[in-house]
Amino acid sequence: MATQTASSRKSLLLLISQHPELGVIASFSIIALAFLVISPDKFPTSSTLYSILTLAGELGVTSIGVAFLMITGEFNLSVGSVYALVPMFVVLMVDAGMDMLLASVIMLSVAFGIGVLTGYITVRTGIPSFITSLGMMMFLRGILLAITGGFPVRLEGSHWLTDVLNGAVGVEGLRTSAAWLLALTLIFLIILDYTPYGNWTYAVGASPATARELGVKVWRVKLVNFGISSLLAGLAGLMALSRFKIVDPTLGQGLELEAITSAVLGGCLLTGGYGSIFGTFLGALLVALTRVGLVLAGAPAYWYSAFIGVILIIATIINTYVVRKFVTSG
Amino acid sequence: MDKLLEMRGIVKRFGRVEALRGVDFHVNRAEVVGLVGDNGAGKSTLVKTIVGVYHPDEGEIYWEGKPTIFRDPGEARAAGIEIVYQHLALIDLLSISRNIFLGREPVKRIGPIAFLDRRAMDEQSWEIIKSIGLRRLRSPSERVAKLSGGERQSVAIGRAMHFKAKLLILDEPTAALSVRETRKVLDHVLEVKNQGVSVIIISHNIYHVYEVSDRIVVLDHGRKILDVRKEEVTPEDVIEVIRKGEPLQKAGS
Repeated sequence: MATQTASSRKSLLLLISQHPELGVIASFSIIALAFLVISPDKFPTSSTLYSILTLAGELGVTSIGVAFLMITGEFNLSVGSVYALVPMFVVLMVDAGMDMLLASVIMLSVAFGIGVLTGYITVRTGIPSFITSLGMMMFLRGILLAITGGFPVRLEGSHWLTDVLNGAVGVEGLRTSAAWLLALTLIFLIILDYTPYGNWTYAVGASPATARELGVKVWRVKLVNFGISSLLAGLAGLMALSRFKIVDPTLGQGLELEAITSAVLGGCLLTGGYGSIFGTFLGALLVALTRVGLVLAGAPAYWYSAFIGVILIIATIINTYVVRKFVTSG
Repeated sequence: MDKLLEMRGIVKRFGRVEALRGVDFHVNRAEVVGLVGDNGAGKSTLVKTIVGVYHPDEGEIYWEGKPTIFRDPGEARAAGIEIVYQHLALIDLLSISRNIFLGREPVKRIGPIAFLDRRAMDEQSWEIIKSIGLRRLRSPSERVAKLSGGERQSVAIGRAMHFKAKLLILDEPTAALSVRETRKVLDHVLEVKNQGVSVIIISHNIYHVYEVSDRIVVLDHGRKILDVRKEEVTPEDVIEVIRKGEPLQKAGS
């Protein structure tokens, strides 16, 4: 009997240490419950769910890439700029007569290249990626403002690709971005936890020197993951374009920090080597849930940021405690 | 005799410091060589030169009779050299099984995609954990951060032995171990030798080295000052050579 309790306690500890997303599941449930109590008739409806999914779509797709790179031990602050750059150039190309699919493929390749370049500068010089990607963020944003003169550009005509990327499904507000978010979450969750490449990603994030000694190509993993973070940000930007049909040169400002928020809520450590894609997905949902819930509760929109700030700090305190207690201590 | 590894006239400089000053060194097949010497003698530099962490400035290296200089540890590993570093090369945040198979994960292909064969990883890790005799049996999915110093050392050695190397290099394998754990490690050295594996064992503890070695090599300030079959010396002789930093003066000679 005693040994049974001991072993079930031990497996509980193992469960906690293996699931960085437990914290976000708990906070998500608590906050959802709170909104349920505050607005019992408006909150639990399918249109509320669809609003949350729509808000979470673009943020979530960006956050997955940011989280994947964060687990690799690096930051990419330029995702917000790439999020605007890709749709901006796609609009300019399409309005000049190019096919939208072709323009998108070209610009997504450019986005991947921008990420790899940021990564290359980072690993080559040894400068922290916080700085290199900050520089890239400002550089790209400057280009956007310069070529548009600060004015938004509009996507003319209709294009089947916008329906695929973020079209309405039915009349209640569900959009295809939800499917993209779910699919990409699943794909990157599988890559991270069920392929050798994911194992290398964890290892590079936790200890690049040791990973190198054991034959992992550290540079390649970092460059590819920088590229992925940028690529997903570009894709999310195209999803935003598909929803609004217009791109403002300031689109996505601050998105890099919201993406980091989702990743950290989801259990990713800023120091790398630890985190969860599913947790990040829930982190993005939690951010969206908070925004929608506050509106339904009748709170002024300004409160949203304050609320997220508090949630972020509390969740991080809990996550840090869990990591110290169950993961890194002997 | 059939030489598995031979190094001739190896010189390695770091800036103006000559860490290795023309070292000749070899390992025969199924032979255990004890590599000893004081701090800074060049033992770790020598083994890191073998596995391609460092590249020699002068000299030649022959692996299985062919001139070979490994570009990086991955290449040396692929050729059949396993090294257990003093710092063990384990990643705290990863599970035991992920550590054991890092860089050479078993995969199961489904279509074009190679997935981790997690069951094989866990099963083989479990075998390794049992064979190295951790005091408490640990689940392969436990993180390395949770292990004691001796348990980590056992996992690192278990990993190296699992991959059927031709040459196993152990850098201070018993430094952090209890008496019981040390016994295990020394038994393992003899066991792999019987399977035909060659071993280089570096240690400060001459008695541990002496017990398992066939031959003893002493380095001092980047030079080899002793290279004898174990039967020709006593552990006390070896300690004397290391202390004086000069070759053995036999009484009466």
